[in-house]
This record gives sequence, C-alpha cells and structure tokens, in this order.
Amino acid sequence: MVTPTPGMMEPGGRGVGPTFSSSQEGSSTATTMPRRECPGAGGRRGAGGDRDSIPMGLLPPRSESPRWQQHDLNHSGYQIDQATHYDTTPPVRLPSATAGHVSMRFRGSRKMSLFPVGEAALGNLGLSEDDIRNEMENEEQILVKELVAMSTRDRIKAIRDLPMSFDDKKHIRGQVLALKSFKKSRQLNCFSDCSTSFSLAFRRCGANMTSARQTLELWRGTMKEVGGKFGTGVLSYFKFLKWLLMFNIFSFLVNFGFITIPQLIYHPTPDIPTGVSFKGLEILTGAGYFSHTVMYYGGYSNKTQGTGGWPEYNMQLAYFLTIAAYMVLCGAALIYSMASSFRKKYVLADSGLGGAWQLLCSWDFSVTNERAVRQRKNNLRIQLKESLSEKVQVALLPLTERLKHYGVFLGTWLLSTGMALGCGASVYFLCQYDKSRTRQSADKASGSLLEEAATLLLPFVVSLINLVVPLFYSLFKKIEHYSNPRMQVYAIIVRNVILKMSILGILCYYWMKDVANTFSCWESIVGQALYRLVIVDFLFIMLGSFFGEFLSNVIGTKCIQSLGVPEFDVARNVLDLIYAQTLAWIGIYFSPLLPVIQIIKFFILFYLKKVSLTQNCQPPRRAGRAAQMQTIFIAILFFPSFVGALSMVAYTVWTLPPSDKCGPFRGLNTTFSAIQIWMDDLNRVDAFQWTVWIYQHVIRSEIFYFLVSLIILVFIYIFRQITQGRKLLIILLRQQIVNEGKDKAFLLEKLQTLQKSKQNKQKNKKQVRKRQEKESTGMLQALLARQRLEQEHGDSSSSFGVPMPSGHSVSTTSSAMMQAMLAKQYAEDQDVASYRGVPFPADPAPASSSALIQAMQARQRAESQNEDEFYRAPVQSQNPVNALPSAMIQVMQARQRAESEQEEDEFYREPVHSEHPVSSMSSAMMQVMQARQRAEEEESEFYRAPASSQHPDASGTGSALIQAMLARQQVEEEYGDRY
Amino acid sequence: MGNKQTIFTAQQLDAYQDCTFFTRKEILRLFDRYRDLAPQLVPLDYTDQPDVRLPYELIGSMPELKDNPFRQRIAEVFSEDGEGNMTLDDFLDMFSVLSEMAPRDLKAYYAFKIYDFNNDDFLCKSDLEKTLNKLTRNELTEDEVRMVCEKVIDEADLDNDGRLSLEDFQHMIVRAPDFLSTFHIRI
Repeated sequence: MVTPTPGMMEPGGRGVGPTFSSSQEGSSTATTMPRRECPGAGGRRGAGGDRDSIPMGLLPPRSESPRWQQHDLNHSGYQIDQATHYDTTPPVRLPSATAGHVSMRFRGSRKMSLFPVGEAALGNLGLSEDDIRNEMENEEQILVKELVAMSTRDRIKAIRDLPMSFDDKKHIRGQVLALKSFKKSRQLNCFSDCSTSFSLAFRRCGANMTSARQTLELWRGTMKEVGGKFGTGVLSYFKFLKWLLMFNIFSFLVNFGFITIPQLIYHPTPDIPTGVSFKGLEILTGAGYFSHTVMYYGGYSNKTQGTGGWPEYNMQLAYFLTIAAYMVLCGAALIYSMASSFRKKYVLADSGLGGAWQLLCSWDFSVTNERAVRQRKNNLRIQLKESLSEKVQVALLPLTERLKHYGVFLGTWLLSTGMALGCGASVYFLCQYDKSRTRQSADKASGSLLEEAATLLLPFVVSLINLVVPLFYSLFKKIEHYSNPRMQVYAIIVRNVILKMSILGILCYYWMKDVANTFSCWESIVGQALYRLVIVDFLFIMLGSFFGEFLSNVIGTKCIQSLGVPEFDVARNVLDLIYAQTLAWIGIYFSPLLPVIQIIKFFILFYLKKVSLTQNCQPPRRAGRAAQMQTIFIAILFFPSFVGALSMVAYTVWTLPPSDKCGPFRGLNTTFSAIQIWMDDLNRVDAFQWTVWIYQHVIRSEIFYFLVSLIILVFIYIFRQITQGRKLLIILLRQQIVNEGKDKAFLLEKLQTLQKSKQNKQKNKKQVRKRQEKESTGMLQALLARQRLEQEHGDSSSSFGVPMPSGHSVSTTSSAMMQAMLAKQYAEDQDVASYRGVPFPADPAPASSSALIQAMQARQRAESQNEDEFYRAPVQSQNPVNALPSAMIQVMQARQRAESEQEEDEFYREPVHSEHPVSSMSSAMMQVMQARQRAEEEESEFYRAPASSQHPDASGTGSALIQAMLARQQVEEEYGDRY
Repeated sequence: MGNKQTIFTAQQLDAYQDCTFFTRKEILRLFDRYRDLAPQLVPLDYTDQPDVRLPYELIGSMPELKDNPFRQRIAEVFSEDGEGNMTLDDFLDMFSVLSEMAPRDLKAYYAFKIYDFNNDDFLCKSDLEKTLNKLTRNELTEDEVRMVCEKVIDEADLDNDGRLSLEDFQHMIVRAPDFLSTFHIRI
C-alpha cells in the first residue's frame, strides 16, 4: 500500500527514496558493508554498540566521499556560535557513543566551550571560518554515520533527541536516509526492496495505532484544563484516579470474561428463591436480590460445565486461576511502576536544592490560567522569602524549644495511634453486634426493609471514621511545627494509613475468624459487606467533597474571610482512593464483579472532583514536589494496600474451608484443593506429567521456596553492596567535578590576567610610540636600518612558512608542533635571546592539546615579555601566529634602534627603560658595551621569569646567552661596517 | 491509511513523525492550531513547503502561552530567526520539546536556553535575576534578589565558576524529578 517514492525533501533536491530497514537489517548492513566507508563507526555499532568510547580512525578523505556528502554546505545548520569554538578536540575523534546520548554530548561539549572570550579566541588558534565549517561538516558526518549504523527504531529515537531545530533534524535525517539508500542500491534485490516497503508500512501502521490509542485516551481535555488551572500537583490526583480506573477495567474484563460469561452461558438465569425480588435498596446494601446473582461468590456453580456439545469448562479452576492471575498481574504492574517511579523520581531527588529548584525547576509551564499564574507568582515569592529566612530560624532554635517540639511530636503521635486503635476496637465491637443481629435475622429469614437497612450501620460507621478522624488529624498541624513542610505531609499520610489499615485489619480479622465459622454461605456475606463498604465509602467521599470543599468555600468566602478559599488536599483524596482500591482488591475473591462498582464509582468521582475542584478550590499555595508524592502513593498502594489484600485472599484460599452449600468450591476442604484435584486428574494422562511434576516439585515443595528466597536474599545483599559502591563512586565523581571546576577557574584566571596585561601594555605602547615619533630626526637612520632587518626577517619567515596551513583539519596536532619547532628554530637562528626563555616540549610527540596549550602559553609569554622589554606595539598582537615573528622582529628592531641611536651619538634621549639610565658618554664603543650589558641584564631577567614559571629551562640558559652575545656582536659589526 | 488529508505529503508526515515526538494525528492537530492563529496567512496545502512565518504576537497569544511568563523566551529560542517569528516547523519543534514524550536531556537543554537570556551559554547572575523577576512580578527587593541568586548559584554550581553551565543545569534537573512534568505544555 505504500511504496517508496522518490522525492524526499532533500536540501539538494535530489530524488532519494525513503529507506527504512528493520533492526536486524540495519546491523547486518553495517557489518557487511566495506569498512572503507566508515572505518570504525559502522562496524562497531553494528557489532553491538557498546558504550565505550573508542577514538576512531581518520575520516575518509573528501575525494572519495559518496554523493550523499555533496549537500549544500551552507545548509549545514549547527547553530553554534563560532566564537565559542576554542576547545574542540580534534575532529577525528568520535565522541563516546550511545544511541540516545551521543548527540547530546556532541552538542553539549561544543556549545559549552571553555573560553567564551569572543572573536579573539578564534584567531588565537589560527582557525579560519573554513576550518570551523569543515569541522562542523565532519561532526555532522560522524553523526550521520552513527545514525546510519543504528537500527531504524534507535535512529528515529536518536534523531528526535537531537537538540537541534526541526530543519536540521530533517536535514540529518535526509542524509541518513540517502546514505542508507545509497548503500542499499548496491545490494539491490527484490528481498531488500520488499522488506523496505514492508517495514515502512509496518511503521506507519504502528504510528496509526498510537494515534488511535490517543483518540481513546480518556479525559484529555479535562486533564489539560485541570493542569492548566491547578498545576501538576493537583493533576497528579486525577492521573492516579485514572490509573486506578484502568486497573479496575482490566480486572473487570478478566473476571467478566473468564468467570462470569461462562457462568452466564451455562446458567443464564440465577436461581433466585421465591419471595426475593428487587426492591431498590439492594443497590445500597448489596443484599437480598443481589446475593443470589453472579455478583457474589455464592452465585457460581462448582460443576465442570459443558457436557452436552459445549466445550468443557471447569468453573473451579477458572475461578481460582483467574483470581490468581489477576493478583499476580496486579502485583507485577504495581512493582514495575513503583520501581520505575522510584528510580526516576525518588532516588535521585535531592532535598539540598532549595532555591535553585524553586527558581529554575518549579515553574509549571502547563499552567495557562491567568489567575493561577498570578497566584503562583505570589506563592513563589513568599516561598523564596521563607527559604531565605529559614536558615536564620533554624539557627536560633534553643534546646528547650526543641525539647518542647519533641514533646509535642510524641503527644500527637501517641494520640493519633491511640485514636486509630480505638477506632479499630470500636469497629470490632460493632462487628460483633452486627454478627448477632445478622444471625437473628437469618434465623427469622424475613427480609424486611428495616433489617436490610440495618446492615448499613457498620459501613456507615467505618466511613464516618474515615471521614472525621483525618480531619481531626489535620488539626494537629496547628500545634506541630515541623521544620519541613514535607515532613508534615508525610506525618499526616502515615497517620491516615495507620488508621485505615487498622480498621481494615480488624474487619478482615472479623470476617476470617467469626463470619467464616458462623454463616453457611459466608463468602457471599463477606462480599456483601465489602459491597456495602464500597458504596457507602463512595457516598462519604461525595459528602466529604461537599463538606470539605463546598462548605469551607462558602464559609471561607461568605462568613469567615480569614479562612479563605480551601485548597484541594491531594494527600487526603489520594488516600481515600487507595482505601477504596484496597476494598476492591479484597473483594475480588468474594465478589468477582465488584470492579464494576469500582469503575462506576471512579468514573463519577472523576467528574465530581473536577467540578468540586473548579468551583470550590484555589490553586495550591505550595508548589509541592508532586513527583515524589506520587511515588509515595504508589508505594502505599503496593505495600499496605495490595500486599494486605493479597495476604487476606491468600489466607482465605489456602486455609479457610469454603462454604458447603454455595459457590464453586463447595465440598472442598480448602479452595486450593481444586488444584490438587486437577493435578490428580492430570496425573492419569501421560502427556501432562510435566505439569504434575512442576506442581509437586515447585509449587508444593518447601525446599523450592526456601531456595528461591535464599537466592533472592543473596541477590539483595549483592545489589546492596553494589549500591554502596556506587554511592561512593558518586561522591568521588562529584568531588572530581568540583576539582575540574577549580582547574578551569584557575586556567581562566591565568588567561584573563595575561590578556589584561597585554591590553595594558598596548595602551602604554601607544603613548610611548607617540612620544617617540615627536622625537628626533635622527631616528630616520635607525628606521632605515630597521627596514632592512625587517626585510631580512620577512624573507626568513616566508621561507619557514610560519602560518598554519589552514584547511587541514587533521593537522592541528602537527601544526602546533610545527609552530613550536619553528619558534625554536627562529629563536636559534635569529638572535632573539629573550625568546630562548620560552620552553618548548622536549618530547617530540606530546598530546595534541597540551602542545597547543603550551604553544599558546609560550607565544603569549613571549609577546608580553617582549613588550615588557621594549614597550613597542607589535604590529598585530591579536594574532599570535603573526605575532610570533613580528614580536621577534620587534625585539630585534628595538634593540637595534637602541644601539643605533647610541651609536649616532647625536641625540641624547631618554631610553625606553627608565630603570636603565644611560649616561652620556663620548665614546661610541662605550655605549655599545653598555647596551650589551643592558641587554644581558634583561636577558637574565627573562631567564628568571620562566624559571619561576611551570617550565624551567635551566639547561638552555648558558648556551642561549652565549649565542645571544655572538649574535649581537654580529649585528654590531654590521652596523659598524655601515657607519 | 485512515482519512485522506491533502495538507502534507506522506513523506512530509513521515519526516515530521521521525523528527518530533508527535503522531500523525497530533501533527495535523497542531497544524490546525497553527493555522487557526492566522487562517489568511497559512495555506491549507503544505506540500510545496510555503515559507510562512507567523509573527511572535500571534504565537504569544495562544492560550497555552499567553500567560506564561517565559512566552517570549520560548518563542525566541525555538524560532529560527531568534525573534519569535515561527514557521510551522518551529512551531512543531517547540511543542515537541514541550510534550510529554521528550526526554529529560532534551527538555533540560531547551529549558537552559530559555533561562539563558543573554545567550552566552551560561546562566549567570543577570539571567537568574531576569528569571526571578519574571517569576515574582518584580516584587522582591534588590537584596532579596541578590540573595536568592547567590543561593541558587551556590547550590547548583558544581565547578565553582560563579555561573551555571549546561552541565550544572542538567545535573540539577536530574535531581529534580518534577521538572519532567512541569516543563510540559499540553496541546
């Protein structure tokens, strides 16, 4: 249906078929392609793409570049500002590469260069614009090659992750596709053509599926509205609600599909005893009419269905296995989401980021409501002020005050725990009462309305406790003073969880101990109790949002203005949801269709809460750390809630005798015996021996579980050790970052001082030069002499070829070395003794960067030293490549000038160096001698300077001096000849 | 292949899908949003890639952006000309980065650029002050602004160079898990 058509949007306008390949194909292409194309990258990526960064070989020369390289150079669009291109490593290196991150580091390293010092830096390296463009080209091509070597999926992911503008991404993508199709065209055959179009179609189909799924996405608009008005924190409640709704829909589908539908197929009408009819109150109580339907455990038969023509369906097994599978899947999903949430959001989270976090990370870009934005700004300001004053507060707290705080904590915790226990006890006594009442009514067997309504007493009280006590808990925050608001929230959460779980624990105990031994069809009774709890809880949540939000809104706006409009309490509401879900999980065994009620409940709740929120509440004052709270909620949902429900169900299944007269497991000792019977059946069939073996040796054997838990313990221990090691490593790495920062700062400082001194010198030099030009006419002769020498130097410099051969991106290393060599040669040939003080790396093959840096340092030092000596403006001191010869020329010139001036003996003028006053003497020879002396002094000064620096070069000192002397004598002789 | 649309060619849509985090449907929806900003300017046929650029005034008036204190910076960072005038590509690019699917590193990179008001690749004190003033309606005293900025740099500056580099920023983002959900504009 889709064929690759030519005419991709290529910058060059070439027709290139869109080529996609499956992942195997991609890697095989990479490995089988000739290495010449892509010396390291292709092969390595194809071989598995390990994470190590291996410096790659040289790139293929331009001449043999395939046609995909001939794209428009100007189009290559790294929007990198060229000034900051100082520290790029030689382009032949491949940055360390993992699919998703390679380009990020690519960008990161080049954008964040070490010396953002403006245009000068560019010239300093002698890099022309062409060089930079070449280098960018190279990097782009490396990137393209890496992308080509990836599988289609990885490649798309990598391209999406590139921090570039869309046009650049498209450009890169076009190149990659072009290269792919170029490679393909060599091995063009029917198969690859087919697979290409097939994979393209497949991919488009996948994209369409994603689109379709997004169409089905529930409540997108509502979510956006809530997020826009109230921010991410409140939105997380609705996300959680939606997530739980998905759980319930899944559980409903599973239960309905595997338990209820077979039951309905074989027994379409429930056996309802006469005299029981639907009265309407059942919707609340769940008793009466409902208790005989498939709603509860009791409504299911224990027969192996399908004798006449229908396929066999064992209800016992279906019931057991469905519930077990659902529980296992739920547990796996919970563990997975909890672990990933922990990994992403909790472990790395650092509470040390107060202000930085508030300023740079806390702004919620999804907020689109003007009022909310204004309020957020206000709150942020208040929080920032608070965090500024916080430090002072902590320091001022005296010991007695702290003791008082601890006392308050102890009191509130004791009180809250006591309340939770008290509630549990009262619920237990209520249960006892309820039991005796139910037994009486069961004896009488007259289902009057009043008696049915009386069953609602227990759930009513439980829900009331759940509604009122948390409100009471929230009063505690008036007297408690936690240093951290987050601690406050945690404390409230823990208290609420203790309360809810103690009540549920008591209820479970009552069901397991009393109900199970008292009633004939006890599973249905428990199912009904859970049904009632779920329904009444729903009513109370509605009431809660009415009282908690609507009333306090009315009070806050109309009566007591100081209270203000209430905030939406995310923690309390989420805990309500968790409680409701726990009920649903416990009830899954006793009432397989309870998820239906739960789905309806959550669905209504979503809209109810949304309306209540938008009508009554204001955006939260504190930008809480929603992500961490979410993780905690998932953890709570897993640990006390799901684990508790699971252990309750497991206890029921493994140890409690099922009721005799109803339900699928009637007549068995325990529910689990159903499996035992099944295995005994299977034992008779030879083909299923392995299942029996597994059952006997794995599921029923203690030693298996013993071994498994032992292994798990060992693994936990090992991973714990690894974690400890990693922690240590993190500390070390952090230290390293700090150290590198210090290094960087040190180097920057040095560079800046050097540049500053250079600039100062330039100013001075200009002044000096002006003064000099006003001076004598006798300078004329000196100038003449200078000219001649300049020519000499010009010749020699051109013969040496000082400037870097530009355009050779590979030659950075060698050119640096060459410059160093040149400079040395220069220093030896021309008698610039002062230059000798500059050290050069004796090692013929140093690391490229260190050579560069040293060359730079040497050059700059040479410049500044020369200028120190002679206060003469170099012709172009900005550019060290030019400055190198020119500085030396100037050294020469200045010295000659000084000497010639003295030889002229016509003018006595103040020398440049005021610290060396020249006395007027008649003899020219004396002056020459003096000049030499002075030069020697200066030279010795020079040698002192480098000796104190990092590169002492003591060995060269003597010989350099001698050479300098000799050279100067030569010059003097020359001059002598001339005059 | 679903309903026929004539705005883009299939190849264009493929490119958009490969280079952004959007599905076909979302791309079309975003195109509608883009076109709604100026129906007379934006043609209904993008197959020949017309050079249409909507001025910042229009982009900034979108309900998703109009109350965002950083709207101008966002538009500047994502627009090709750096002045907030956006082509459709820029527009898609912007919402792609701000979508839920974009990875942390990418988001951090662009958030850094948004906060980097003077485009010098570092968040220095002046950048932080500007951010702070945008976020607090200029209601903090100078002293407080200075203290907050110092605190921020003190907390997040790993290499002690007195300003935040991209690495510092990313390191901070890693430790602030909320960022992923807050640096997100729903469309």
